[in-house]
Amino acid sequence: MNAATRMFMVLSLATLFTLAAGIPLYAQNDQAFITYRQKVMSSNGDNMAAIGEIMKSSLPMGKNIVTHAANIEQTMLLAASAFEKNISAGATDSKPEIWADWKKFVSLAEAAADKASTLSKVAMSGDMAAVGPAVKALGGACGDCHKEFRKPKEESYKNK
Amino acid sequence: MRLFACLLLFALFASVSALAEGDATRGEYLYRAAGGCGCHTDRAGGGAELAGGRAMKTPFGTFYSTNITADAETGIGRWSDEDFIAAMTRGVAPHGRHLFPVFPYPSFAGMTRADLLDLKAYLFAQPAVRQPNRPHEVWPPFGWRWPLPVWKWLNLPLSVPTLPPARRDDPLVARGSYLVNALGHCAECHTPRNLMGGLRNGLFLAGSSDGPEGELAPNITPHKPTGLGGWSARDITWLLESGFKPDGDDVQGLMAESIEHGYGHLTLQDRDAIAAYLGTIPAVDRKVSKSSKNKGRK
Repeated sequence: MNAATRMFMVLSLATLFTLAAGIPLYAQNDQAFITYRQKVMSSNGDNMAAIGEIMKSSLPMGKNIVTHAANIEQTMLLAASAFEKNISAGATDSKPEIWADWKKFVSLAEAAADKASTLSKVAMSGDMAAVGPAVKALGGACGDCHKEFRKPKEESYKNK
Repeated sequence: MRLFACLLLFALFASVSALAEGDATRGEYLYRAAGGCGCHTDRAGGGAELAGGRAMKTPFGTFYSTNITADAETGIGRWSDEDFIAAMTRGVAPHGRHLFPVFPYPSFAGMTRADLLDLKAYLFAQPAVRQPNRPHEVWPPFGWRWPLPVWKWLNLPLSVPTLPPARRDDPLVARGSYLVNALGHCAECHTPRNLMGGLRNGLFLAGSSDGPEGELAPNITPHKPTGLGGWSARDITWLLESGFKPDGDDVQGLMAESIEHGYGHLTLQDRDAIAAYLGTIPAVDRKVSKSSKNKGRK
């Protein structure tokens, strides 16, 4: 085995090790993206849950719905950047259809932001009778997006 | 005197006719309480309301829902009141044809005659749509109609748990029982089925991994870790109104549709009644997942 062959072998092995070491880093990076967008969506869930507590127990904090709904509006405007990276494998319920029909995904996220904005304004008016329908409208917008782009619970990574 | 008698007869005739025809306005509320009859509308395919054609995937094959608009040729427009009641309570269509129990007549059998007639009046007040029914794609023996009387003999009437003694006289619980077991037909999706498609009554409302359209129907008994035991009655009432669970996530699939077109339109009192009744049924320890077939204990 001459020096050139030995050098070739050393370089090949080094390249292989570098690539192999990079795979977990890449996977770890993907998981970070998934975790971030899950945190973004669960913050919406937390705000919806808070709105639900006010509504179902008629708590005297109707005005707080203004802020909860505004939080959801602001968070939904982050959805496009949070989901920009195409990752549908791993511990995620995101369907590949998000990136196959990106424009629709973004428009549905914006529609949800609009409904959240409407809810915030309705809550600001103090007309609690109108808040219920506005919450349902926001729920409908959430559902429209989930129906298209979130794996159903039967296929959720949480049930595997 | 003769004029008075005529007026009396006319009033009597009018009231009897009204009774026979049902009240479409009341019928709309009952339609909502039945979950909006969403199985009869192919929403994903852009189908007309109540015109059928929706594919219902089950472990026995694919059933296609039927046209229940008042179209005389392809719907139920020629059905008399008695035809409608026979179909809803005994699963028998005109001319004696037995209906597959994917249509939840075991539950609807608990509806009162007055409610059935009001529901029919509402359905007949909706636009008639001409759309022929699509043949089911179900493998034998589940696609055969002739064994259905035997199936009915084995599985009817719907068996529901007896109420705890302390709640037997509670009118709210009684109303909830009627809404859950008859109108809302909750057991049809939330109770698992045996190999013959009958409901496994020992696991009443304990969830099914083989719900319609392949969906998981969760355990809604008051069992704490696996059912609704950690939920308050208000949580249930709010879910039925808004579609949101206590954690702020929204329900999916058929339940989301049933809330949007049905249960979400119920009065607060009726939603409270449903929550009150669900709190009385036996808690069953059963986590529903795609691999939960035949598991569960009280």
